[in-house]
This record gives sequence, C-alpha cells and structure tokens, in this order.
Amino acid sequence: MAQLSAPRKSTMGPYFWTVTGVLTFWNLASAIWIAVTPLDYLLPRSSDNITDRGADIDFLFRFMSILVNAIFTYVAGYVVYFAIAFRRRRDEPADSVGPQIHDAPKLEFWWTLLPTLLVLALAVMSTRVWYLVQYGTSANGLEVEVIGHQFNYEFRYPGLKGSVYDEMHLPVGRPVRVLVTSADVLHSFWVPEFRLKADTVPGLVQNLNFTPQVAGTYLIECTEFCGVNHSEMQARLIVDPPDKFTAWLDAQKAKAAAGAASAGAPLNLAAGDAAAGKVLFTQKCAACHGLGGFDQKLVGPGLGKLFTDKTHPELVNGSAVSKEHVAGLIEKGYNGTLGAMPSAQQNGLSNQDVANVTAYLASLQ
Amino acid sequence: MAVSTVAASGAHDPDAVRARYEDVDQAYHEQRENRLLGFLLFLVSDVILFSMFIFAYCYLRNSVPNWPPIVEGGKQLPRFDVNFAAFNSVVLFGSGATMHFAMESWKHQNRTGWFRWLIATIVLGIGFLCGQAYEYNSLAISWAGSTMGAAFFTLTGMHGFHVFVGVVFLCVLGFQTRAGVYTDSKYFGLTAGTLYWHFVDVIWVALFFLFYLW
Amino acid sequence: MAVSSGTLAHDVEDHIHPEPEGFIRKYIFSIDHKVIAFQYFITGMIFFAIAGLLAELIRAQLLKPEGAIMGNSAYNGVYSMHGTAMVWMVIIPLVTGALGNFIMPLQIGARDVAFPWLNMLSFWIFPVAGAILFASFLVGAPDAGWTEYPPISLQGPPGTTLWCVAIFLIGISSTLTGLNFMVTVAKMRAPGMTWTRMPLFTWATFATALINMVATVALSGALLALFLERVYGVPFYDPARGGSPILWQHMFWFYSHPAVYIMILPAFGVISETLPVFARKPIFGYRLIAFSSMAIAILGFAVWAHHMFTSGMPPWLQLPFMIMTFLIAIPTGIKIFSWVATLWRGRLHFSTAMLYSMGFLVTFTFGGITGIFLAAVPADLHEHGTYFVVAHFHYVIGGGSVMGFLAAVFYWFPKATGRMLDERMGKIGFWLFFIGLNGTFFPMHFLGLFGMPRRYATYVEFAKIFPAAQFWNIFESIFSLGMAASVALLFFNVIWSLKKGKVAGINPWGARTLEWTISSPPPYYNFKKIPTVLGLPYNFDQPLPYRNLDNDQPAVPVPMTLAAPRTPVGV
Repeated sequence: MAQLSAPRKSTMGPYFWTVTGVLTFWNLASAIWIAVTPLDYLLPRSSDNITDRGADIDFLFRFMSILVNAIFTYVAGYVVYFAIAFRRRRDEPADSVGPQIHDAPKLEFWWTLLPTLLVLALAVMSTRVWYLVQYGTSANGLEVEVIGHQFNYEFRYPGLKGSVYDEMHLPVGRPVRVLVTSADVLHSFWVPEFRLKADTVPGLVQNLNFTPQVAGTYLIECTEFCGVNHSEMQARLIVDPPDKFTAWLDAQKAKAAAGAASAGAPLNLAAGDAAAGKVLFTQKCAACHGLGGFDQKLVGPGLGKLFTDKTHPELVNGSAVSKEHVAGLIEKGYNGTLGAMPSAQQNGLSNQDVANVTAYLASLQ
Repeated sequence: MAVSTVAASGAHDPDAVRARYEDVDQAYHEQRENRLLGFLLFLVSDVILFSMFIFAYCYLRNSVPNWPPIVEGGKQLPRFDVNFAAFNSVVLFGSGATMHFAMESWKHQNRTGWFRWLIATIVLGIGFLCGQAYEYNSLAISWAGSTMGAAFFTLTGMHGFHVFVGVVFLCVLGFQTRAGVYTDSKYFGLTAGTLYWHFVDVIWVALFFLFYLW
Repeated sequence: MAVSSGTLAHDVEDHIHPEPEGFIRKYIFSIDHKVIAFQYFITGMIFFAIAGLLAELIRAQLLKPEGAIMGNSAYNGVYSMHGTAMVWMVIIPLVTGALGNFIMPLQIGARDVAFPWLNMLSFWIFPVAGAILFASFLVGAPDAGWTEYPPISLQGPPGTTLWCVAIFLIGISSTLTGLNFMVTVAKMRAPGMTWTRMPLFTWATFATALINMVATVALSGALLALFLERVYGVPFYDPARGGSPILWQHMFWFYSHPAVYIMILPAFGVISETLPVFARKPIFGYRLIAFSSMAIAILGFAVWAHHMFTSGMPPWLQLPFMIMTFLIAIPTGIKIFSWVATLWRGRLHFSTAMLYSMGFLVTFTFGGITGIFLAAVPADLHEHGTYFVVAHFHYVIGGGSVMGFLAAVFYWFPKATGRMLDERMGKIGFWLFFIGLNGTFFPMHFLGLFGMPRRYATYVEFAKIFPAAQFWNIFESIFSLGMAASVALLFFNVIWSLKKGKVAGINPWGARTLEWTISSPPPYYNFKKIPTVLGLPYNFDQPLPYRNLDNDQPAVPVPMTLAAPRTPVGV
C-alpha cells in the first residue's frame, strides 16, 4: 500500500516556501535589474538608441525578458528543487508512492489565468510597438530606395540619376523611409544596430520608416538566402551629420553628371595589365567563375579556355569571342535565361579594371 | 488510500461491455467502420490538396490588377468559355446521378439495375474526360505561359486525373460485382466508389465556379 | 490484419490470425506494427547519424570566419540537407512511425493498427524517399535551406528537383500514417477505454495524427507546384512571370508550422507517461493535458505566417498571427506547469528516461520562451533570419523532440526487446547530450541578436563588428561533439544491450498502461484476450484498472529496484 515518506515539516515539501521565496526574490531582483540596466548585453548598442524605432523595439525586448525570466526561473527552479527534495532515497521500499493527487482546480485556474493576463499584456505592448513600426510615417522624410541584387545592394536617392553601390548614407535626425525591393531573388535588408529588417522581394516594394539618431558606420547584412555568395552580401551604412550628408549627396550627383560611363578614363584594351587582371579576377569573378573549361559551372561557366576553346566560338550573349566583345560583356553585365552577371559598375570596376581583366583572360591557355 | 477522481459510471459496467463484445462479430464490424472512416479521412486529405491549389489560384489572381492577366507583349488573355464547360459539367453531374441510382439499385438487390447505371456512369465519366480533352485542345492559353494557365491546367488536370482514376475504380467494381465479391450486406468497396465519385463531382462544382463563373 | 469474417459469437480470442511465416513476411514485408516500428527506428537512426554528421560539418566550417573546410556551394548543400533530413527523415518518422506505431496500439489494447497493410506501405516509402533525398548530393544538393524559397530555389541545383520528389513521397507516407492512426485510436480502443481513460501518449498520437493527415497534403501541393515550375516552367512563384514568392511561403508554412507540432506532441506524450511512473504519482491535470494537446493541434494551423513577418505580407496581416502565436503559448504553458506539479512530492527515480524527461522540462521551456521573443512582430523584425531563430528551434526540437524521443527509447526499449538498456551508459549519454545541447545552442541566441545571420558559410564582416564571433563559434562546435558522442554511445548501448542487457520482465518500471501487462517483447498478437478498461492508468497505489489480463502480475506493480547492482545479467 501507499508508503508515506518521512514526516515533513509542511505538506508542500521540505523548505518549499523557502525555495519559493528565494525564487520569487530572484525574480523580483532580476526583473528590477533587467528594467534598469542598459540592454547592451543583449542587443547591440542598445543604450545609444541608434534609431527611434529601435528604441521602441528594445523596450519591448526588455519587457519580454522580464516576463520570460520569471517563467523560466519558476519552472527550472522548481524542477531542480523537486529533484533534490523529492528524490527517492535508497532505503525507501520499492512500493513507496507520492500522494495520489490528480489535479487542483483552484491552482490550475490561477496558473491559467495569470499567464493569460501576462500574455495579454505582452500582446498589448507588442501591438503598440508594432503599430509604431509599421504605420509610423516618415512624411516629408527622405526616401531612399534599396534594390537587392545577387550579391550587392544598389541605393538610389531622390534627385540622383544613377545609383550608388558601395555604401549607403543617411542623415542624422531626419525621418527616413527606406523602400526595398529586389532585382532578382529574395534578399533582405537588415542593419542589426537599427533593429529593422525587410525582405527585398522582386515585384514588391516594402518600406521601413525610422529616424537615425546617432552618426556612425553600420553594417547592412543580407539575411535571406540568395545564392552562392549570400554570406558575402553586405554593405556599409554611414549616418552623417546633415551637412556632411548633403555634401556627400551633392558629390554623388556631380559624379553622375560628369560621365556616362562613370568609370574614369575611356576603355583602352591595348593597355590591359594581365597581372593586375589576375588579382581582380580572384577578387571579383572567382566566386562565380572557375578557371576550368566552359562546362565547369560554379555559378557561371569556367573561363580558363574562353579565348582558346574552338568549340565555343560565342559568348553567352551571342557575340563572337573577341577582346572587344568580352570587355563589352564585362562592362554591361548579363541578365538572361542563363542567369545574371553584374555589370562593371555594380562590381565596382573602372574601365582600366575591365581592360586588365580582359587581358588576363586572354593570357590564359 | 487516495481515490481516483475519475469515477466509473454505470454506462461503463465492465461486465455488460464484455458481454456485448463477445457476442458480436466484433472484428468485422470494427473493420467496416474503420474502412469507412479511413476512406472519409482520405477524401478529406484530397480536398485539402485541391484547396491548396485553389488558394494559390485566388492568391495569384488577387496579386495582379487585371484578370485574365496581361502577358508579355501586352496581350490580355481571353476568358474561358462558359458554354462548353457548362455542358460538360452537366455530363459530369449526370454521372453523379447515375452513380446514385446504381447504388440504390444495389441496395434493393437489383443487380441488373446496378450494372446499367454503373455503365452509364462510366460512359458519362469518359465523356467528361473527352470533353476536357477537347477543351484543352481548343484553348488559346498554355500551361506554362501564364499564371492563369498554370492554375487552370494544374487544377483541372488534377481533377481530370482523379476522374480517370475514378473511372478505373468503377470498372474494377464492375468486374468485382460480376465475380461475386460483394454481397447484399457487405459491399464496402461500392460505398467507397460512390463516395469517391461524388467527391469528384463536388470538386468540379468548385472549379467550375472558380474558372468559368468568377 | 486478417479477420475471420462471417462466423458469429465466438470469443474475441479467436480473432488472432496465424503467425506470419518466413523471414521476409516476418521481418521485411511485415504488417505487424511492432516490426514496422523497429524498421522506422533503424532507418530513422541511420538517417539521424547522417544528418548529425552533416551538422558536424556545419560546425567544422564555422570554426573560422572565412570558412574552415569548404566552399560556399558545398556548405549551402550541407546545411540544407541537414535541416531537410532532420525534419522529414529523422524526427517525424521516429516520433510518429517508430514511437506511435509501437506504443499506441499496445496502449489502447489493440492487436494492430486499423490498416496494417497501409502501415507497411507507409514505412517502405520512407527509405526510398530518403535514398532519393541523399542521392541529390550526387547531382548537386539543394542549397536554399530546408525551406527552399523561390525564386532562388527555381534556379537551384538539380538536387532541388529530387528534393521535391523525396519530400513529396515522404509526405504520402506521413499522410497515410496519420489517417491510419486516427482511425485506430477512434475505433479500436479496448472495451471500457473511453476517450477520457486513454493514456496521454495515445492522446498525443491522436492529435499528431490529425495534424499529419491534414497538413502534410498542403505541403504536397506546394512541392508539386515547385516541381512543375522547375521542370515544366509552369509559373506559380516566379514574379517575372506573374507568380509570387510569397505564395510559396504561405503554402510551405501552412504545413511546416503544424509540422513542428507533429514533432513535439509525441514528445509531450512521452513525458506525460514517464513523469508519473518515475515520480510514482498520477499525472497532474490529465484532462487539461489531453485537451491542450488537441487545442495545440488545432490552433497550430492558425499561426503559420509568423515565419513570414519580414516577407512582404501586408502589415495588417501580421497582427492576428502575432496574437494567435501568443495564445498558443498558453496551452503549452499549462502542460509544463502540470508536468512540474507531477514531480511535486513524488518519489523520484532518476532512471535515464526520467533524466531525459526532466531535462526536457528545462530545455523545452527555454526554447518555448525564446519563441515568445519571436512571436512579437517588432522583435522578430530584428531576429528573423539570424542565429536567434536557429537557437530557438534547436532548443525546442533538440531539447524537446529529441530528448523526448530519447526518453522514450530508454523507457520502452525493455518492452520492445525484453532487455534493459544499460543505465550507466544512458546516464553518461544524458549528461553529454544535455551539456552538449546547451553549450552549442545557448550562445547562438546572442550571436543572432548581435548580428550573425543564418545560412552564412562565412561570417567575416560580422566578426569585424563582433570580435568574439569566432570564439563563440568554436565554443559551440566543441560542445556539439557532446551531442555526437551521446548519440554514438546510444548506438553502442542499443547494440550491446540487445545481447547483454538485463532481462526486463513484463513491467520493469512498475507502470500501469496496457503495454506493461503483456510480455516483453510482446507476442505478435499483442493481447490473447482483449482486456476491459475500468479507469485511468495513473494511480500508483491501486490495483491495475483492467479485467481479463493475459498475465498475472502483482495487483499494484512496483518498479524493479533501480538501486540494484548494475552488472548485467546476460542470458
């Protein structure tokens, strides 16, 4: 029959209320600690409030941390405590059992109601922040377009013809609306310090509305798998004081107006340097093109026999293999049924670079 | 001694329960009920398969401003022709009616009636499939040419495949009844066949509405 | 299950069909649910070893920010196959096909499932689908993760098409199993076993079967469309041709969110069985646990778009999904509190199964909690696509489903084989796994929040803004070896114990559900006489609530004493 365990001090278990008190004290203390301590241990540069929306989101993190800390402390705390307090001792008879209690309606009521109320509070808090993030407008704000490509970002600014590729600039203290889309596959636009993320979807424009509040250099990362170089798809985002931003934007406009090719000196194939081209090839092309024959495909075909393979007299765009046509293909890029190759401008190649790469490829046997 | 909070009520008097199960051909009855429930659940899962593509169609349709969509070259695709499809639908629904009469005949021990109505159902089913083939042939849109084609041919193709399987199923049932596999009291296969055939009809109601009327 | 039809009024005992003869009918093409369960177990564990090896390749690659052992393409294939295999070729088959098949019919007092032949077919699809999936390594493994979002998956390597085929096939297997189990539980319970007298593992299996049957077909639809688009160019998802990438996400996640409940509900059921037995107390809150399983199964269909908060779906749609996701935490929380209350004032036996069950309470709760962080849309905007998500799901799947599965292995192995698994190896294995799991996945929360995206073969830029990145990745990789060692030890334990394990007897744990009233291993017909059920199986100080049992046992079963010397009795 039921064997009672050794006499207990209380029917709840040895030191039950003491342990409960300790856990509760820990919860309260850690809740206070979480509430007042800067969240920099959890989220990057939280105390700097890099953006206004980011600060709202961090507040939500703080609230959630307090809530879940409470739940986990009690659950894990009681599991550990029960493991110690109610372990079966070696000398207990094999048929010893605990009190055969099936339920306790009042307790179950409270442990259903209280979490429900906490969840509702969380839902209200989250809805408030959600509304600010999704519907907070940046009317009269600066609109910047971000277009995702495999594997870089293209930035377009109002009043600027053409695009910026290497880094994105934003002014401090001015509301911004970032419009994101993609030119090919899904990518994502995320700045960890800003907390905001939107997938770049081809055929759709999403927007992110916020005000950057702290000048500095930040990192844009792609967080939606987009192909072989997904891990290398990042860009810099620089938040400037307003006058510096204006200066930068004016410089971009000037550069765009200055030359159609926007790539410096005109293309001179005869002056191509194969050695420099080899370095560029490794930096810019090797991710997608190997140096084997045409049938070795990484992303694009192997280019080691581009000029020498008689069975492949044509380039992917139909033109015949020649230095001029190869340079033209590198310059314009390719987008068609066989895939997509960025243009020279997207790759950050000047005319001299194009000539060098062409020379290098021509030097391969 | 702790008392279980789950009290045994009179309805679960173990001896009465025991006696009932020992007297009855428990296994067969269970098996028949099992198979019916199993077949119904299978039909539910099939409905969900169609529902997914119907959702896809509604989603794709909703995501463009014009329907029928405008494809490359600026051309807007033509709407489907209701008239022929309506006629073909009558053929299919008629086969549902004949299937019902077939089943009624069987239940009233009318073997001749069963075979007549079954053959009528098969003929109408094949007629529907021929009608679909004719429609496919006469359509200007292609399967891979547009999302409209994608949705239409995939959904009606899946449906047509189900009709084809149904026709085969009914033929098999015909041969089985001729061979005496089923009796007046044990004819689960026939029930299954009838349910399947009606299911195919119900799906067509949805497809007809979605592609020809909407 | 062959049935002698036609004749009436004989004792239920006569409905035992003759034993299958010949090696092929007994062990290869068997319709016996117990043999099929073994087959699922063996096949699933082999795939577990392969998928685990792929995981170690991932951890090896991430030892260096620039990638330590392979190029990007190879790495993308490795993690995509790791995820795909773990979800569809390991966890789901093991918890439904192995556990559900073996335990549930025994717990309800049935001789087999409702459709044994269908059960055999469901199994044999599994190794074929697995072979097709792994064959994709030969032609270019799928590389866009286990989620294969278009448009990139439309361009992916040829293996992506094989991926579609393999998962479509395993989906058929899953759907048929779900259908089979639903009918079995609904129709084949022993006399007197009302719904509210069913053991909780059976409740869990029923809820899982419901999801399995309804949701998997949805995935089949998505896969079929992806296949048609890749192979025949039929436009569903390519935006350049009027399709929508977001459509894929809706169709995929409509299945894949309920799929995670397929993975966890059986583990919940296991815990609900082991905790009472090893605490020698009834499960606390039986009705709430049973009904919350059904609630989770149904609510689980209403939350899928929480995987899509950053995807471009209309903002207003985010709100209901966020609220529903918060709500689903409540039935889960109730279960956790009930399990903890089951331990309270028990007499706790720390068998390996109990260690895994208690460990589950800690790690699954922690994983569930990070789910709350993900449920809130504004927070998810930061966390989506980062290692925070990876940490969350490994805690709930590794710390939940896998730990529950391992508890089940240690608990039911004696019933299935007649031998106990070695407890010392089991306990060492538990600590290796528990410490390994936490060491591997806890730091990932921080890596994610500080900016490390997932599916990255290299993390050079992230390492520049977070200098400790490489240290923590190395830390995680080292701890992952703990899990690998634990699984290797388990393999050894299983093989060793089959020959040398202590003989188990009918009821080594002193448990009270019906499977513990028949011999270990059970005879092919399970029950000579179908017993009658009088009450719940969770009172440890009362006689067993059954009539007409096959074997004599003590009226109140007690566990074979676990303090006994561990030298195995080799027989």
